[in-house]
Amino acid sequence: MNSRKKALLGGVLGDNIVLSGLMVISPVIICGDTLKNAEALVYAFTALTFLSVLICSFVPERLPYTVKIILYAMISAVIYIPVKLAAQEFFPGVIERIGIYFPLLAVNSLIVFQTEARFFRMKRTDMAVSLIFCIIGFDAVMLITGVLRELFAYGTINNRIVDMNTVISGLSHPFGGFIFLGLMCGVYRFIRGLISKNNEVRSNADVSDR
Amino acid sequence: MFLIDELIALLAANLILSQALGTSTMFIAADSKKNMLATSCIITIFTTLGSVGAYFIDSLLPDQLADLRLLLYTVIIGVLYVVMLTVSYYAGKGWFADFRKYIHVSAFNCAVMGTLFTISGKAAEDSSSFDLGWYISAGFEAGIGFVIAALLLAAAYRKLNSAKVPEAFRGFPAMLVYLGIISMAVYSLK
Repeated sequence: MNSRKKALLGGVLGDNIVLSGLMVISPVIICGDTLKNAEALVYAFTALTFLSVLICSFVPERLPYTVKIILYAMISAVIYIPVKLAAQEFFPGVIERIGIYFPLLAVNSLIVFQTEARFFRMKRTDMAVSLIFCIIGFDAVMLITGVLRELFAYGTINNRIVDMNTVISGLSHPFGGFIFLGLMCGVYRFIRGLISKNNEVRSNADVSDR
Repeated sequence: MFLIDELIALLAANLILSQALGTSTMFIAADSKKNMLATSCIITIFTTLGSVGAYFIDSLLPDQLADLRLLLYTVIIGVLYVVMLTVSYYAGKGWFADFRKYIHVSAFNCAVMGTLFTISGKAAEDSSSFDLGWYISAGFEAGIGFVIAALLLAAAYRKLNSAKVPEAFRGFPAMLVYLGIISMAVYSLK
């Protein structure tokens, strides 16, 4: 994979915003204990981040950094209003459970800081592709966390009982979320290390070895 | 005994350990004690002064316009952000060069915004808390909670990044597990 492809597609595996960048981890730790919560957060994050970053990309570059950051946060806070109204239609009960983490998604570092440091240095189409893969990366982590924590903490998947012998109820608590995410980060880095070592070995090998 | 009780209350209500608010910011600042202390202090200023603004917004904003709360809080934080940069600029060039990066990191993050929403939520639940003094003390306590969590992380930072920790778990993953264990201990205090 060349460096341009890496920059565009890396958001899912190579440079996942949660597991590698440790961004937007509070909702994953606190609310990612059931699949229903995870789905609601995926919707909220996807809608808020995608629309906000796209609209923020029209903010003039000449403005001072501080003014741009404030404008990004305000644009995101405005977009939050219709996204929340739509969420009340689709996920009425869960929005209550997510509580303050829903508005907090609007000031996530992907919108407020990464826009300036990463996305706005790209062409607009490249930016959109990279942003979509970053969002998919978050969504994947959120859904995996939601499924596994619900399975191990409550013995259910999407509120359906699963035949489980061992239930670890601590995983539904914030401390369970911290530990689970820490373990997930470690496993992710281990797998990423294996893949990059494999690629190194492959690229160093003779043609006859490939 | 009073101090121990206060410390336990502060730990139990700690926004990082009980709500994971500001964890990313703390990890960003974790690479040096100076960064961590400066970031924690600036976050404390933001939460304390921000809570004053949050009090006035909560008391003036009608219920039917509650969805505007995030936007209004953002405006408050934005104003504080500019004021703090301006103050540090006029305090001296060296001071400004040193502190502006901490102000940039601390302004818009979950720790500050989450504190304002948490305080507002608690005040809405218990009307006896709806008082400017309570808002300020809650904002200050949240900032102090951040300082305590930062100190707890700083105490173990070098060991969690040492070569003795397996490579895949070195750094952030180990810090998350460590915070999880501290959070578990704090949970038992509730």
